[in-house]
Amino acid sequence: MFGIFMESLVIFKLYTGLKFLLVLTALAWIYLLITEKDKKIRILLVYAPIITILLFLFPLSRKVFVAAGLDGETYYRILWTVPMGVIFVYGACRFFASHRRIGLALSAILIVLCGSYVYKSPYISRAENLYHIPDAVIRICDLIRPERSGERVSAVMPADLIHFVRQYDASINMPYGREMLVNQWDYYNAVYEAMEKPDVVNMEELLKATRTENCRYIVMAEHKRTDEDPKDCGLLLLDVIDGYRVYEDPVTAKVQEQQWQEYYGDEK
Amino acid sequence: MVVLKIVSLILWLLAVPFGMGLLPMPLLEKRFRTPGAVLAAGYILLFTALELVGIPVVLLAVYNGFTIFKNVFAPVTVLCAAAGIFVTWREKKNGYELNFQSISACKDRSMEEKIMLILFVVLAGVQLYMSFARASFDGDDAYYGAQAVIAQQIDTLYRVNPYTGRSAPLDVRHCLALFPIWEAYIGSMSGIHATIICHSVAPLLLIPLTYILYNLLGRQLLKEKKELLPMFMVLIALWQMFGNISIYTTETFFLTRTWQGKSFAGNFVIPAVIWIFLCLMEEKNTGRIGFWILLTCLNFAGGASSSLAILLSCLMTAGFSLLFAIKEKRMGIFIKGGISCVLGGGYVLLYIALTHGLLAL
Repeated sequence: MFGIFMESLVIFKLYTGLKFLLVLTALAWIYLLITEKDKKIRILLVYAPIITILLFLFPLSRKVFVAAGLDGETYYRILWTVPMGVIFVYGACRFFASHRRIGLALSAILIVLCGSYVYKSPYISRAENLYHIPDAVIRICDLIRPERSGERVSAVMPADLIHFVRQYDASINMPYGREMLVNQWDYYNAVYEAMEKPDVVNMEELLKATRTENCRYIVMAEHKRTDEDPKDCGLLLLDVIDGYRVYEDPVTAKVQEQQWQEYYGDEK
Repeated sequence: MVVLKIVSLILWLLAVPFGMGLLPMPLLEKRFRTPGAVLAAGYILLFTALELVGIPVVLLAVYNGFTIFKNVFAPVTVLCAAAGIFVTWREKKNGYELNFQSISACKDRSMEEKIMLILFVVLAGVQLYMSFARASFDGDDAYYGAQAVIAQQIDTLYRVNPYTGRSAPLDVRHCLALFPIWEAYIGSMSGIHATIICHSVAPLLLIPLTYILYNLLGRQLLKEKKELLPMFMVLIALWQMFGNISIYTTETFFLTRTWQGKSFAGNFVIPAVIWIFLCLMEEKNTGRIGFWILLTCLNFAGGASSSLAILLSCLMTAGFSLLFAIKEKRMGIFIKGGISCVLGGGYVLLYIALTHGLLAL
């Protein structure tokens, strides 16, 4: 039980980052605890948050949460029900009610100094288009997408493009996707093993895996090293787009064409 | 063409939800019937309809699920919106009207309050600009974004592995949360790619919608001191921008994953529960039934954003109503709170049945 309590405490620390915004919230909460007269506000912004935090830390709560079939990794979302921002802002408004200008300036400075600017995240970058995915993905997908609606093609993509391909075009399948990039999921995929694991790609192994997976296109970063030139292995270089080489495997292409011809023939 | 798409977006993202939001307004006192409350109520009803229509389609339709969904959902929402407009028009004869005082009162505010309001608009404007002009990478988009694109392009709902594109059994863990399907639906109705809706359009709606809710919350909290509302809004907007103290906070989700259902859960569903309780527990409020109905819908509609959202909103409802019942010494509050969780409880039972293999589809 103590172990579960400590785990929950760690989750609480990770959630709040133990940053000063937590201190601001705590100060506002204490102020409201002492001064707030409105019963309903006391219940919603004073009593409920502290009860929630206590229940969050109570070991049985986490046990029940997981037993209900919920993902233990999302346990931190219980803390979403503690409106830290509302508690601080309402407390600040009340505290500085008679000195609004000074109060606003001081509270704003405190928030800026104690908080963390959301747009400084390394995951935020200038949008290249309305899709908010790299232009390279759009150009590559436009090149390899099937001509007829209802058809599918399969393409191996470099790890840095994997997240975006199927957000643009659902007719492009991939032998593996994001699931291979999440370490803790620990999946196995033969194409991934051949394409991403070695520093130098063994072309024979890669083609064996891609042909088993019926994979028609192979997209590689230009700097990706291979033991043989892919063109010498029979692949056709369709284009080089934004630093990515796009190859077509004629062997798989032929097999696929036959499959689709049979499919459409059967339909007739 | 672009103009048509924009008009279409205004219709499906603003006009229809606003019309739907008019439906419960006659049950509320006039002071609560502000345009912001109408839109917030509209979205609560819209997502209730989304779940009521969408869940049977997802569970039962193996092929063409998205087409079936559109064919049912569009008429349902339009009819609800039309009903809302009709109710407002009919009741108008009896002196019923919406409350536009909050808008007209802006003129009467002091210069200091006006400057603070402008400051808030600037901060919200920066957030809107950043949501449009900056791309925020999140790995979960490979799931949620791709599900929306699959719905739009392949016409199936949660029956294709979004990472690889292979056919898959129904994804029972996520299939009840239809937020991505709603985004695909908005895209289809406006002729726009689902990913553009998620990343470029949805934040332009969802960010203001959250601030509308905070405005409603602020009004309830600062009822006696309305002059503090602009200060409240400025500080809330700043808190959202600087609340990135970890990757887990609602503030981080709000501005970096705005289009995901989880963000909607943390930034709309949860504040909405607090707002509704602030209104419900007002001693002078004579139109409580309308808020109980809204709360009942919210406790179900939250499921559109994530299955956990329903659990959170129902737990909040149960906890708040118990605290109020004890404080007011009226067990009726707790019973009503329990009743408002019945729909959401049904959703939770369905989720458990699906995820534990008790219901095979």
